[in-house]
Amino acid sequence: MTTALTQGLERIPGQLGYLVISEEGVLASSGELENDERTAGVIMQMVRTACRFRLHGAAEPPLKRMSVMFEDYVYAVTISGQKVFVVKRQNNQREPVTA
Amino acid sequence: MGCCYSSESETAEQDGDERKPLIPHPNPDSKPPNGTERNPANISSTRTDEQALLSIINKTAQNIIDVSAADSQGMEQHEYMDKARQYSTKLAVLSSTLSQKKPPPLPSLTSQPHQVLASDLVPYSDIQQVCKVAAYAYSAISQIKVDAKEELVVQFAIP
Repeated sequence: MTTALTQGLERIPGQLGYLVISEEGVLASSGELENDERTAGVIMQMVRTACRFRLHGAAEPPLKRMSVMFEDYVYAVTISGQKVFVVKRQNNQREPVTA
Repeated sequence: MGCCYSSESETAEQDGDERKPLIPHPNPDSKPPNGTERNPANISSTRTDEQALLSIINKTAQNIIDVSAADSQGMEQHEYMDKARQYSTKLAVLSSTLSQKKPPPLPSLTSQPHQVLASDLVPYSDIQQVCKVAAYAYSAISQIKVDAKEELVVQFAIP
């Protein structure tokens, strides 16, 4: 089951590491995110907060993916089947992000 | 920019309440005497022995819940019902606050997580635009101020 979950994640271009998290905790991890419980906790809180946003009149959260952008890398996060998928990807865009 | 995140970390303030009885004892003075009070006047050896025994009995009694003795305490049927109702109302209040603490279940954002994660990153121009809009909004909010023009409370001349 774990291989089926993570096979696609391994093939994402520019992937530096990934996490698969459920309500109970980390199900799978790899690369730079291997056993990174702290990042998993922070991402879980962020994605829960993001999912509370609603556009006017909509019942579902208005997003498919949450991107946490840094100068050199990006955390791409989505939820499917009660599992949170996090992929750390390289950010090749030249311009610095000023937030 | 406004704060769009507030910590959900739980406070441990109610930990001390866990072991308190749900319903306080109606008459706290009716506890059995613990027998350790000393009478400063004539302390006979038999009396101290008695007191020591009494204190042992009372200590033991405090540690035991005697279910078979419940009937002999003369609790009426309606008292049982009253207590049961009191407990269930208390529990209903507590359970409703407990369920609020539990985070809501995770929504499903997509059925194709791998494709969503592998798709192109957000373009730099979009991020730049969002940052600009957020900066404008922040600046606009910080410039909101009250412009006092006339008295809010006016005294009417009462004849």
